Amino acid sequence: MKISLKWLNDFVDVSKFLSAPQELADILTKAGLEVEEIQNLAKDYACVVVGHIVSKEKHPNADKLSLCQVDIGGGLIVQIVCGAQNHKAGDKVIAALAGAVLPGNFVIKKSKIRDCESNGMLCSYKELGLADSSDGIAILDPIAKTGQSFAEFGGYDDVTFELKVTPNRADCLSHFGLARELGCLLGKPVKTPEILTKFSDGKTKQKIKLQVLNNELCPRYCGRYISGVKIGPSPEWLKSRLQSIGMNSINNVVDVTNYVMLEMGQPLHAFDADLIAGAEVIVRSAHPQEQFKTLKDQEITLSGEELVICDAQKPVALAGVIGGLNSGVSDATKNIFLESAFFNAMSVRKSSRTHGVETDSAYRFSRGVDPSSTANIMDRAALLIQQVAGGEVYGDAYDINSGLQVKNPIRISIKTVSERLGYEADEKLFLNYMKGLQIKVESLPNSEYMMTPPIFRFDIERDMDLVEEYARLHGYEHIQEKIPALKAEPAPHNAEYLLNQKVSQFIRAEGFNQAFNYAFTSGTLESAFISDLVKLKNQGLQTDEQAIKIRNPLSEELNVMRRVLSLGLWRNTLDNIRAGNQNGALFEIGNVFTKSTTAYHEHSRLALVDWGESIGIYAGAALPVHTIKSSIEKLFQSLQISAYSFVSLSEAPSFLHLGQWAQVIVEGKAVGFVGSVHPRYLDDEKIRVPVAIAELDLQQILKGQPRPVKFKSLSKFQPAVRDFAFVMQSNKAVGDLLKDAKKSCGSSLKELTVFDIYEGDKLPIGQKSVALRAVFQATEVALSEADLVQLSQKLIESAKKSVDASLR
Amino acid sequence: MSKQIPFQIRDEALQAFQSASSTQELYNFKVKYLGKTGALTEVMKIMATLPKEDKPAFGQVVNQVKTALEEKYLEIELLLKNKEIDSQMLSQKLDLSFPTAGREQGKEHPIYKVTNEIFSIMARIGYSLRTGSLIEKDYYNFEALNIPPNHPARDMQDTFFVDETHVLRTHTSPIQIHSLENEKPPLRIIGTGPVFRCDSDVSHLPNFHQIEGMCVDEKVSMSDLKGTISFFVREFFGAGLKTRFRPSFFPFTEPSAEVDCSCPICKGKGCSMCKQTGWIEIGGCGLINPKVFEHARVEYPKWQGFAFGFGVERMAIIKYGVDDIRLFPANDIRFLKQF
Repeated sequence: MKISLKWLNDFVDVSKFLSAPQELADILTKAGLEVEEIQNLAKDYACVVVGHIVSKEKHPNADKLSLCQVDIGGGLIVQIVCGAQNHKAGDKVIAALAGAVLPGNFVIKKSKIRDCESNGMLCSYKELGLADSSDGIAILDPIAKTGQSFAEFGGYDDVTFELKVTPNRADCLSHFGLARELGCLLGKPVKTPEILTKFSDGKTKQKIKLQVLNNELCPRYCGRYISGVKIGPSPEWLKSRLQSIGMNSINNVVDVTNYVMLEMGQPLHAFDADLIAGAEVIVRSAHPQEQFKTLKDQEITLSGEELVICDAQKPVALAGVIGGLNSGVSDATKNIFLESAFFNAMSVRKSSRTHGVETDSAYRFSRGVDPSSTANIMDRAALLIQQVAGGEVYGDAYDINSGLQVKNPIRISIKTVSERLGYEADEKLFLNYMKGLQIKVESLPNSEYMMTPPIFRFDIERDMDLVEEYARLHGYEHIQEKIPALKAEPAPHNAEYLLNQKVSQFIRAEGFNQAFNYAFTSGTLESAFISDLVKLKNQGLQTDEQAIKIRNPLSEELNVMRRVLSLGLWRNTLDNIRAGNQNGALFEIGNVFTKSTTAYHEHSRLALVDWGESIGIYAGAALPVHTIKSSIEKLFQSLQISAYSFVSLSEAPSFLHLGQWAQVIVEGKAVGFVGSVHPRYLDDEKIRVPVAIAELDLQQILKGQPRPVKFKSLSKFQPAVRDFAFVMQSNKAVGDLLKDAKKSCGSSLKELTVFDIYEGDKLPIGQKSVALRAVFQATEVALSEADLVQLSQKLIESAKKSVDASLR
Repeated sequence: MSKQIPFQIRDEALQAFQSASSTQELYNFKVKYLGKTGALTEVMKIMATLPKEDKPAFGQVVNQVKTALEEKYLEIELLLKNKEIDSQMLSQKLDLSFPTAGREQGKEHPIYKVTNEIFSIMARIGYSLRTGSLIEKDYYNFEALNIPPNHPARDMQDTFFVDETHVLRTHTSPIQIHSLENEKPPLRIIGTGPVFRCDSDVSHLPNFHQIEGMCVDEKVSMSDLKGTISFFVREFFGAGLKTRFRPSFFPFTEPSAEVDCSCPICKGKGCSMCKQTGWIEIGGCGLINPKVFEHARVEYPKWQGFAFGFGVERMAIIKYGVDDIRLFPANDIRFLKQF
């Protein structure tokens, strides 16, 4: 919210801060009203003065230009070339002289225009940034003092604050409200603005019939009739006040309603009384499907929950939010009905949010206006309307008040303040602060008090709120620092988090960099990437048919909750390669999302990606798919998981290479996949290096972790090593041979490794030779030659049975 | 006369041993002088020609010479062997400056590096880590934290909605409520994870991270809160940094404060990071609002508490001087490798 210091000065003396605004800003910020920006308006109008056109002649070389001799005070008369048509000799105008910098960084210099010297520019309000459009240059009131700086003349010798008002401090959303707070902070008296107290004999109630049908959403409604106003431009003082805080002038009556809102925090609305059908105002809930057109020409279909102000036929305002196009004040308006009301905060906020109409009025109502000043503020506006637009202000105003909430007294002891702040609170100071905040204080024995806050302090409800008021006014710098003693045993950490850290650490050691991708993604892109959902689900990765949609996504790029991590890493890979990172590896630990009929579920996943080709002397090193697979195996080993395998029985996920992928199986369960990316996916993205991706169900893998370690005694006997060469069909999996051989030989087979694979001339086509080395060793006994023969035989038989391999 | 012969052999052999340039040559000399047909073996044959009374003395001399030569042999052999190993090693020299094949160690994402650092600092003073769901019930994200429907405080957090009653959590504070509901005080909890706000520009990510702490105990004051945060600031950014509280508003705390620390980059002198103020805003905090305890059915004021929260990205930006928040979700390995 913008605050003008000069305006503030109407109510509390802050004049000394005009030259030292930072000091005042610090006081406010320290009290919880953060000043985000200080702007010195006078600076914007340096070298802009009130000029008096002494003479005006036609420019000798241009039909549309005039040559003006302008008195700029101090006995100086300068020549200014002007392109406007609306001025004449004798006019008082605004002259920007050399050195002025107008909005838009427009620097004024001495120049020659068509061979005639020009010492500046005669300005329009638009050129000064004070209006959206202007008809010609500004012609000032003849009483304007020649040579006076324009800032001073227009009241722009002001400083403004951009104030950040937190939602709890609605009472500070006006100049008067802030002045009231400053009165307490600076210990200065606060003046209340003048209101109209004398009214004509005309009776409002005879002119307009008023009915409030929904007291709950409208606890108080005041209205007054004013006849015979003359709509026109606002006087300079009103315009400049509004402009100083960035609000444009519309007409005198509308300007007053805005002015009073900014001054007192109470939004007001002026209806053209002659446009109120049936001369009847009804405050009621909207009817479902009822139509309403805002004064900004926006068509709204009401739901029925909104509160509306209606005439005999139609809604004329969305209560507290915005007036209607059909009933607003226009140049033709003669009589007005002035509304000042107190609407339910939540209802106003809902109306405003539902229909996307955000106004200064809705902003204030939804935070809370002072329900005890509704009538007074209406009469403040009535006074100003009479001053600037004339007219007759009727008596017998409406004030339908359904009984306002009262503030309950709060019981508090000084001990509570001290205890909760952790330092000795000063009782005298406490009472002073509370009184400064207009809190009614009643003493009880033993330094206890009953305190009743003023009605406009919605945020003060219980003792802790008073503790905060003391702390804030005294200054948070008084709070000491101490570490609380730990009296209980610390609870255990979240186990899953710790396990994820362990996995992360391990995978990093394998050379993968940790990535973070958004939990939401593009639904279209993800569906295209997954393509055949069944093929993905077959890998043991739970995936919904439909991704969970976000109702209000930022964009179509981020509109669903992700179902896989792979897509994120794949896109990271593309970005990396395009940024010139030809080799690299990433991993991510994160959640994917599914929905059941009753709830949303999050599944923790680990995904890895590896891309790039080894070059030169390192060429021939493993492919990315090998690297990832090896890292996964080592991860399993580090987690004490021994029963795992990589098989390619079912169909590959759509984005994987049919011949270079495997399903990962842990203890009999599919937990994910590893594979090279499908060549078509690479081609579509013009990627020329191999890329491999893996995605694993981390929850499944981490089940029962950390695994208990059971020690087995070491064998004291020498191991026996036997080598075997088998011939088998090329398309059979070596992994199956190994797995079955281990099973059939039992615990005496300590190790079984492949040390050679051969395919070529010496074998029939479609066959391969596999050389294995077996290490036999028993824990309890030395294996005899007969034992070894028997074990070897078992191994050979199992190879035959498993993959139809025979000894070579 | 013949008594001198062993000594002559000894001197000759010693000279030969000394002259040997390899263990092989040395061994050849050993065979020549000490072998089965070596000079010293031969000299024993002289003994047969000596008078009986001279035999013991001669034998003694020969044995002495033999022992001395054998000792010398071992000594020289060791020297030569060491020399030979040295030269062999030099011939096996490897260029270890040569870049190793294979990959560098991968790095932790700065967001999680910072999270874990904060976590371990807080764990030292008894805080236990908690996580929570990213899709959260509206109740836990707002109402239980004293943000009723249609309350203007909701404007402070632009929310992504999943359905009527579920949102993408806008902060990690729902973790506090779950903890209050499911665990018994006293509590010291540190909650962390991704959070979401419909806000995306040069300084905001729609999906970012928070880390927050909650302490619930019998008597908890603003001093306890300030002391805890100051401890954290010094541990995380470095000794000597100061902490400052400014009044603020959060619906779930009362009193509430914004936390500034003296700028870790310029140590409070003023720089672009702290916009020349010497202070840098790092988070929010306050005493837990009694209404939050009411919602979670924790008896108040028997139990009181404080809570604080920080934006992890912001902490990383301050700590590492990262100049663009959008680098965090980009996952460019040139960026990631720096941490």
